[in-house]
Amino acid sequence: MRSTKMSPRGRWSAITAVAAAAALALTACAPPGASNDGDNGGDTGTLKVGYISPVTGNFAIAGQEMVDGWNLYWEINGTEVNGVTVETIVEDDAGNPETSLTKAKKLVELDNVDMVVGPLLANTALAVAAYTSTVDVPNLHPVAAADDLTQRSANDFTVRTGSMSGSQMHYPGGVWAADEGHKTAVTLCPDYAFGWESCAGFSQGFEQNGGEVVAQYWYPNGTSDFSTYVSQIQSAGADIAFVTTAGGAPGPDFLRSFFGLGLGDSQELLMNCCSLDQATLRALGDEVLGFHSVSNWAEGRDSDTVREFNDAYAEKFDGKIPSLNVAGGYMTASLVASVIEKNGYVTGADLVAAISNIEMEDSILGKAKFDEYHNLVAPVYIREVKKLDDGKLYNTPIETFEAVDQWLGRTPEEALALPNYSQDFQGLE
Amino acid sequence: MNRTRITGGVVILALIALAIALPYIGATSYILSLISTILIAGILAASLNFLVGDGGMASLGHGAIAAASAYGVGWASKAGLDTGTQVLIALGITLLVSFMYGVLSMRTSGIYFLMVTLALGMVVYGLAFRLSSVTGGENGISGIRRPEFISEYWTFYYFLVGSFIVVTVLLWIVSKSPFGASMRGIRDSESRMRSLGYSVTSYRLGAFMISGTIAGFAGLLSVWLTHFVSPTSAGIHRSILLIVMVILGGVGTVFGPIIGAAVVVLVENVLSNSVERWPTVLGLIFILVILFARAGIVGSVIKLARRLRPGPNSEPPGASDDPAGLAPSSGAPVSERNHTA
Amino acid sequence: MFEPIFLAQQALNGLSFGALLFLLASGLTLVFGLMRIINLAHGAFYMIGGYLGVVVAGLTGNLLLGILTGVLVVAVTAFVVEVVLLRFVRGQELPEVLLTVGVSFVVADLCLAVFGGDPHTLPASAMVQGSLTIGDLTYPWYRIFVIGVAIAIGIALTLVQNRTRIGAVVRAGVDDREIIQAMGVNIGWVFTGMFIVGAALAAIGGTIGAGVLSIRPGIQDEVLLYALVVIIIGGLGSVSGAAIGSILIGLIDAFAKAWIPEFAYFTIFAPMAIVLVLRPTGLFGRTV
Repeated sequence: MRSTKMSPRGRWSAITAVAAAAALALTACAPPGASNDGDNGGDTGTLKVGYISPVTGNFAIAGQEMVDGWNLYWEINGTEVNGVTVETIVEDDAGNPETSLTKAKKLVELDNVDMVVGPLLANTALAVAAYTSTVDVPNLHPVAAADDLTQRSANDFTVRTGSMSGSQMHYPGGVWAADEGHKTAVTLCPDYAFGWESCAGFSQGFEQNGGEVVAQYWYPNGTSDFSTYVSQIQSAGADIAFVTTAGGAPGPDFLRSFFGLGLGDSQELLMNCCSLDQATLRALGDEVLGFHSVSNWAEGRDSDTVREFNDAYAEKFDGKIPSLNVAGGYMTASLVASVIEKNGYVTGADLVAAISNIEMEDSILGKAKFDEYHNLVAPVYIREVKKLDDGKLYNTPIETFEAVDQWLGRTPEEALALPNYSQDFQGLE
Repeated sequence: MNRTRITGGVVILALIALAIALPYIGATSYILSLISTILIAGILAASLNFLVGDGGMASLGHGAIAAASAYGVGWASKAGLDTGTQVLIALGITLLVSFMYGVLSMRTSGIYFLMVTLALGMVVYGLAFRLSSVTGGENGISGIRRPEFISEYWTFYYFLVGSFIVVTVLLWIVSKSPFGASMRGIRDSESRMRSLGYSVTSYRLGAFMISGTIAGFAGLLSVWLTHFVSPTSAGIHRSILLIVMVILGGVGTVFGPIIGAAVVVLVENVLSNSVERWPTVLGLIFILVILFARAGIVGSVIKLARRLRPGPNSEPPGASDDPAGLAPSSGAPVSERNHTA
Repeated sequence: MFEPIFLAQQALNGLSFGALLFLLASGLTLVFGLMRIINLAHGAFYMIGGYLGVVVAGLTGNLLLGILTGVLVVAVTAFVVEVVLLRFVRGQELPEVLLTVGVSFVVADLCLAVFGGDPHTLPASAMVQGSLTIGDLTYPWYRIFVIGVAIAIGIALTLVQNRTRIGAVVRAGVDDREIIQAMGVNIGWVFTGMFIVGAALAAIGGTIGAGVLSIRPGIQDEVLLYALVVIIIGGLGSVSGAAIGSILIGLIDAFAKAWIPEFAYFTIFAPMAIVLVLRPTGLFGRTV
């Protein structure tokens, strides 16, 4: 490169700029308002909640459902509990972690919220949790399933209130599959952390009970054409295929290929919460009658609490039946209400501690409590798609695993000593 | 110096003074972090603006260069390395990635150049997912710390203001230099420059390296701001928004990038709080700017100012710091620009 | 891994995906290759066609009606975009980029507002149902139908381009605008027509594709990316190039996912990068 000939003016401005920058960074004294020590929240009569969810973008439907579930609770029960009014501010992060962080900062620094609920996706959730723990603001997770939120990245301000960690939710699926007499299994999961954790959970449950996972397939995020993977499942010829998605379009996309290649009657299938949720049932209808899935939410469960919840949701949302995202939002709201009912206005680490002390006998998710890492311990259901009396399709429990925790049969210390789940490490010996 | 230059200079100094005073006149840490985001996006857009404006090479892969640098810093920070090493790693990765981009795209131009840079960007995106032991895969890397001396939000803000000024001045100097003039010559007519004996490939590679280095710097700054990096930063959506920022502000102008960045960031983060259909608003802004202010916001302002100025306009296009970019009158033949090498 | 049934299935998977890509890419290669218009809103046209086609096919049970509705609405939209917006920036790459990105943003967001966030797919009643079974091999008829449609459209396009007067006019107009204008042809309207045809092809792709790939928020960027890759490989402006490119990418994608899954991400972009490095104009492109 030629030497750049600087005009005197150019040189002059360059030097000034550099000097100014250096001087500023090193000698400026703190402006007013620089100390940001947890004086968040207004008076003790209002609990301000910042709710982050991807209401637009690829996960719009799930994001909106999460918001709807939370709002539904307060609409039914009123926003005032024990003299405290709950005020919610909803922010859209479009599934983008940078946006989630900006919204979280805005909620904490501008709106002075007492706690942040959400966001939905695993990567956005981890980013926000890392931030909120540095500013002493509680972060509740209704749906996010990243293992580390309540394992390696667990802290006093983060609690998973409506969902389970990826491996936790799917482990009982493996146990059930083995108990049903299946000897071999093949797994198909998305090729990122949620998928690795889910398949690891299933695989460990399956192999610890006498089965053998003969092949594992991973599909890239954003796959819409599953025909290749269905072909591979077919050629693996295992007794049962375990397939997970993170919700949204991949569920119906996979099933369509599955039926199209003729496997509908010949290949036993176990799916996860999100691939066989209500959106999929709406899309595919009677074709999926009798299909099995594993999840901590079952809208067809025979319980008054669940029925009331379903009816309330159906009334507000055109007869639709709630999915896991709705249940997560609703569950979170009911936990917060419980805490306020018992203790009045609480925030900070006290709020998280109070939530972790709750034990609910009959929540919409069943009997629920929390472990020391602020993770939900609750039943996991093996569900079957059935048509109930109202003519609609519901995921109905055919088997229940009570009080499932996130450790998959190990002690916390043993589990945390293991590396994160990945394509190469699935927790198997 | 003529009157416009003096007015321009005064305006710039006033803006700098305002930027410095901001934390003391009541701007909250939230507002400052918003401005910080704009400054970093402005730096990244400026790096692309140099390449597009002076070099005539529109790249859809700059987001990925910044992301690669960000990942370098993120990994180094989590591995416990000190600041100096982190910066060195970021620099190393940036240079390597920029060089790869440059070498692989040198034979192409126009739309093909766009596509090669897009492809390379997607490769980086894919690697961010694939090398999950280093990059954390889809979860990304969180909890990245920035150096002690800028750990406060307001000291970091000043650091960003300073960085932005330095980058702007630097790019301006390069643009005014003989190197910049040669770049513009190559942009306007490659064949002519080649016949004059210039090694077109080396110049383009050089321009790419400069642009890439600044993009990498922006990546470093962004991870210091958000303490977080994930594959989304390397994705196509980010890179499309970047080139949109450049065009929106005015290709080839000095302040176009920051204005374009400001519009996009503000709509994405502030307007979205009150308007649900904010993507529509953003799209409409793009359309309206093209219809009524084709040279971009800053470009059109400059054009307007020039037209209103009395007296003959004797400045040849391209020699001043006015927009000489790719927004000529509509009858210009495009065949030369759509060359393949 | 190499059993005949598996190979046959994967080949068909690849071909049907390639057929879908061709529907997408054929429109784009005409607009892009011949008229040199950078239309980043092509994916948005696909999206409108998809959503409308699915909704209408769902209401009427008739796929053809769905396709026609999609094509009609998209044609009108494309007409408006071209006449009101694109004409002002014809020939200027970067303004075209910004303009079409803006259109894409607006369309995508409005689709979200109107159709919601649920993924939409063609209802089974509107699709060609059932599967073809030859021995042990079962393959859905609908995917074979997609291959058929793609072949039909490809032949039609080539015939029009090479055998009809309008095709000759278009090719001449691209090579030398002034002469063709001097001959009394209103080249402006010809180009508008081409733009509409390109958009209509995308709309058809959207409706038919909705039986294979669901339509959901974000689909417009996904399909645009695929279409760009295909036409770059095939060469801008070449329908046969788009066909070859589509088949190539479809097959590579299907087999790579089965045989080298670690590189599944890169199977779309690696071929493109290789072609660009070795033959920058694409396989069938013309050096302008």
